[in-house]
Amino acid sequence: MAAFTYAPAIVLLPFVSFLVALFAGDRMPKGGALAGITATGGSLLLSIWVALTVAGGSVHNEILYQWTTSVESLQLNFGLLLDPLSALMLLIVCLISFLVHIFSLGYMNDEGETGLPRYYAGLGLFTASMLGFVVANNLLMAFMFFELVGLCSYLLIGFWFREDGPPSAAKKAFLVTRFGDYFFLIGVVGIFATFGTGLFAPITEGGEVVAESFPMLAEHAIVDGEVEGIAMLETVGMGPQAWFTVLGLLVLGGVIGKSAQFPLHTWLPDAMEGPTPVSALIHAATMVAAGVYLVARMYGFYAISPTALAVIALVGGFTALFAATMGLVKQEIKQVLAYSTISQYGYMMLALGSGGYIAAVFHLTTHAVFKALLFLGAGSVIIAMHHNENMWDMGGLKDRMPVTYWTFLAGSLALAGIVPFAGFWSKDEVLYEALIHGFGTEGGLGTAYLAAYAMGLLAVFFTGFYTFRMVYLTFHGDARSDTARDPEPVHWNVKGPLTVLGILATTIGFINMAPVAKLTGAHIDFLHKWLTGPEEGGWPALLSTDLHHYEELLHEVPHVDPAYPLGGEIGTLLASAAVSLGLALAGVLVARSLYGGADPVEHTDKLGGLKTLLMHNYYQDEYQVWLATGVTHPLARAMDKFDQGVVDGVVNGVSSVSLFGGSRIRRIQSGVVSNYATLLTLGLVLLLAAFGIMGGWF
Amino acid sequence: MVALPDWMALAPALSLGLASLVLLLADSIDPDTTNTGAIAGISVVGSLVSFGFAGWFISAGTGIADSTGVALFNNQLVVDQMALFFMAIVASVTTLVVLASYDYVAEHSYQAEFFALVLLSATGMSLLSAANSLASAFVALELVSLPSYALVAFLKENKGSVEAGLKYFLIGAVSSAVLAYGISLVYAATGVLRFDGIATAISSGTVQTIVNGSIQAQAGDPAVPMAILGVGILMIIGGVAFKTAAVPFHFWAPEAYEGAPAPISAFLSSASKAAGFVLAFRVFAVAFPIGDLLATGGAINWVMAFQILAIATMFIGNFAAATQETVKRMLAYSSVGHAGYVLIGLAAVSSSGEGLSLSMSAGMSHLMVYGFMNTGAFLFIALAEYWGVGRTFEDYNGLAKEAPIACAAMTVFLFSLAGLPIGGGFFSKFYLFSATLEVGAWSLAAALIINSALSLFYYSRVVKAMWIEEPNGSQTIESYPMGLYTAVVGAAIVTVLLLPGFGRVYDVAFQAAQLL
Repeated sequence: MAAFTYAPAIVLLPFVSFLVALFAGDRMPKGGALAGITATGGSLLLSIWVALTVAGGSVHNEILYQWTTSVESLQLNFGLLLDPLSALMLLIVCLISFLVHIFSLGYMNDEGETGLPRYYAGLGLFTASMLGFVVANNLLMAFMFFELVGLCSYLLIGFWFREDGPPSAAKKAFLVTRFGDYFFLIGVVGIFATFGTGLFAPITEGGEVVAESFPMLAEHAIVDGEVEGIAMLETVGMGPQAWFTVLGLLVLGGVIGKSAQFPLHTWLPDAMEGPTPVSALIHAATMVAAGVYLVARMYGFYAISPTALAVIALVGGFTALFAATMGLVKQEIKQVLAYSTISQYGYMMLALGSGGYIAAVFHLTTHAVFKALLFLGAGSVIIAMHHNENMWDMGGLKDRMPVTYWTFLAGSLALAGIVPFAGFWSKDEVLYEALIHGFGTEGGLGTAYLAAYAMGLLAVFFTGFYTFRMVYLTFHGDARSDTARDPEPVHWNVKGPLTVLGILATTIGFINMAPVAKLTGAHIDFLHKWLTGPEEGGWPALLSTDLHHYEELLHEVPHVDPAYPLGGEIGTLLASAAVSLGLALAGVLVARSLYGGADPVEHTDKLGGLKTLLMHNYYQDEYQVWLATGVTHPLARAMDKFDQGVVDGVVNGVSSVSLFGGSRIRRIQSGVVSNYATLLTLGLVLLLAAFGIMGGWF
Repeated sequence: MVALPDWMALAPALSLGLASLVLLLADSIDPDTTNTGAIAGISVVGSLVSFGFAGWFISAGTGIADSTGVALFNNQLVVDQMALFFMAIVASVTTLVVLASYDYVAEHSYQAEFFALVLLSATGMSLLSAANSLASAFVALELVSLPSYALVAFLKENKGSVEAGLKYFLIGAVSSAVLAYGISLVYAATGVLRFDGIATAISSGTVQTIVNGSIQAQAGDPAVPMAILGVGILMIIGGVAFKTAAVPFHFWAPEAYEGAPAPISAFLSSASKAAGFVLAFRVFAVAFPIGDLLATGGAINWVMAFQILAIATMFIGNFAAATQETVKRMLAYSSVGHAGYVLIGLAAVSSSGEGLSLSMSAGMSHLMVYGFMNTGAFLFIALAEYWGVGRTFEDYNGLAKEAPIACAAMTVFLFSLAGLPIGGGFFSKFYLFSATLEVGAWSLAAALIINSALSLFYYSRVVKAMWIEEPNGSQTIESYPMGLYTAVVGAAIVTVLLLPGFGRVYDVAFQAAQLL
């Protein structure tokens, strides 16, 4: 397929723009922005082409470059895996990156920032790395690009490195995510050691599997009991189920760090120190999605482990609620959005954990659109407010910046989950899947699902509340500061991306209106079909990354099954949708009643002690700092003592013994040649005597 | 392909010998010549031609097809891949040495003799590579030794040089006596001198004789007296140990290397050592097959003897090197230590005699790499002597500021000698290490690791002095001798290139070892 031949260019184009911006950016107009726009635009077009080709039923899984050649049992490759999931993700990343590049013209260039080549180089490298991560066909390549996006995130958060906040936030983001990636790395090594391959999907040639994937090998081991080839199981002395769970949880460490899930979510709010377009691209729409995408990418591996599924669902549900509560009291617009991002990724994890593969991918898609929109809208507001982010200094911006207001409102409605905006459809599906699988699955897993569902459901109310608290404080009422009364106007390069995303945020939910499809029987659940593939043959038979396969696995191994407790399928569906919509509306209405007036006042004091707790983010940062200074540092000091005293002591001892021995040996060399002849002869005689006695010559 | 006459197989040795004769001729025409360029040129051409022939024959696969090599003079000499491999080592070291000597001897008289002696000795090494009987081996060995005694004492005005030459000669005489006695005992025990004949005698257990070039049992089937054979073998080990500067026959080495002109130290410590090892490899792999020796009641387990020697040599060489104050003497001891590493080639053999070709090929490859890195290091010393830089580590302080290229080359040599992956020395040590693991020779593996770590310490001292320390005097370097520089830089480039090219060298070595 021609589209697949050119697919590597999707990754390479932004990389070229990175090089151009880095080395020639200061000699180009707009500091390299145009190169980035051209490159991401080109990547977007190629991604559309790839997506169309994939829609035509063909997929691509090929090794491009093998960089270990000598070891037979272990092959490390770079390769492309283009299936419906990666094609969809390519579209999302390219689109958002393209729009963010345009928006940056308004946010960075027009604001007279310096260091633009560095900025656009960072964006280019990030886009290239993210796209490389998306198309990776094996775990090691994915890991490498996963680290690269982390590096770009670090560089871009710390873009304003001369101020105090950004460098520190960048370091925090880097360290916290690295903590998770540490487990990820062990997981990668473990998976390679166990299966000898990191392929996500089998590579086939003419119908024959030439290279098996690790999720399939794991599946064969558990479903068909084919464990002979896996020597690692004996080494660790565990059953396949237990060991694969360990491996899955290790990889999950990286996911939790990158997708800012509890307890490694603390870096994301600080990451808002970076430029707002960066927050939109990296810390909302794409990089943070990398973790969730990774779980979806190797879903076949998680689907066979009930423990891992339960952990994912519970972490997701808890994070969704936990982050939403912290978002309630924030005063800065980007902080609210940051906590909302954490919360929304919690929903995706909840969906993945509770067997809602489609729901997770769907929410990933809609969230990428409406959260990028909200961040860019916030960026527009920040431009207007001369970089004052405090919502209590805003108010009344509705009439002065209508495009921003209306698009922001569309994004907020989507985030809050109000019908028919995008977020409603996806969030509803997430909760619905958790609910039916919670009732249908026996044992602890089902209970875990129901608990996670309850937390997710409660978070819907908070989401509606903090979202519209933000909208009312920012745009409604009277202006509360001079800048808000006379905001700086924004240009087409800000309004254009906002409009595109605003329209998408309103409409993109229509790609998978599952409830409507169920009710009317019309086949309009396009995303569902996109990820399921044809019934017989086709790409699912080649790659086994289709929904149908995952559902079978979920049914067979952890026994995740749906059940409809409330009047059959339709009844449950309607009830679930009604409850979540009702809660969201309730949240909106409460926000309206509290902050909807012309001159809203703070109500946080009414929370009492809870306010302090929430303002301090449950003391998460404090306890993590304590872990570092109170536990790790003394431990490190003790290790250092050991290293200095015992290890160095041994080394020094060995060296002084060596030197002493050396000086003794030197003395043999007396310089008198007759001594040498004597020693030589003696040595020979000694050898003769020894071997003579041994050989029985005498 | 033109079929060359058989005697042409000796072309690598012959071209060296011819070049030395041309030099002697030139010397007799113009005894007091100072035309160093012409003389060094003849030597370089001779050794390059030798290298060319060796390389050509290796790549043409001489001796692979019939797996016996080209037998000459009633099987007294045999040219096979092993012989050619070592001829290549000898020729390349000789090339570097004569190239570097161009500057070194420019000030001295008797230049033609100097080069003629180097080439005669190299001819002996080349012949030794091909020796297939104890008699021809002994003759070739003496051809190696006698010129080298004279070469060590070449600086007649220098007391150190003369003293070193005399000591070298005396120890050499003792060792030659031991070797000759060992040969006579082996002959007495087996009735033959040809390596394959000795092997037949050992495996059949009866004394052999050679009639019209074919080996047959002596009339009456007298049995081989194993005790006499054992003593003979052990004494041959002694003779080999002398040439390779292995413990306890190493005493001459530090003094000779230190006293000799630095290019000669390079020549002796690289080429002469390699020549000693080719004799050892061929004698012990062909003439004294360990499997048969152990099966027929066991005159001697020479593998164990080599294990003892290897470990002792590694430890004594490296530990003594660690405490030296002068760089040249440090290198001399490290050269002893490296003999220990290469001895692993004969020591890492399982009790049933397996693993010999693996370990031997690792040893051969190490010698090939060593031929460049060690020669290069000694030639750097020659360069320092040429500049009048002192002998101790401190005298090298800040040298890199004056001569960065030469110091970079020296750094490559030293780190490669230590086994860091900057030159081929990394892989050759690694293969030696894996050869020890292959047969489970833990003591050898441990000795290799410990001594490599120790060697990194004393090699780094030179690197530290050159690059990190501040110069303590205000000495300036006035000239940059072309021949020495070419040799040093060339050796450095080859050392680095042997890192990616090591696989090729090892393949040749492994094939050569297997053909035995």
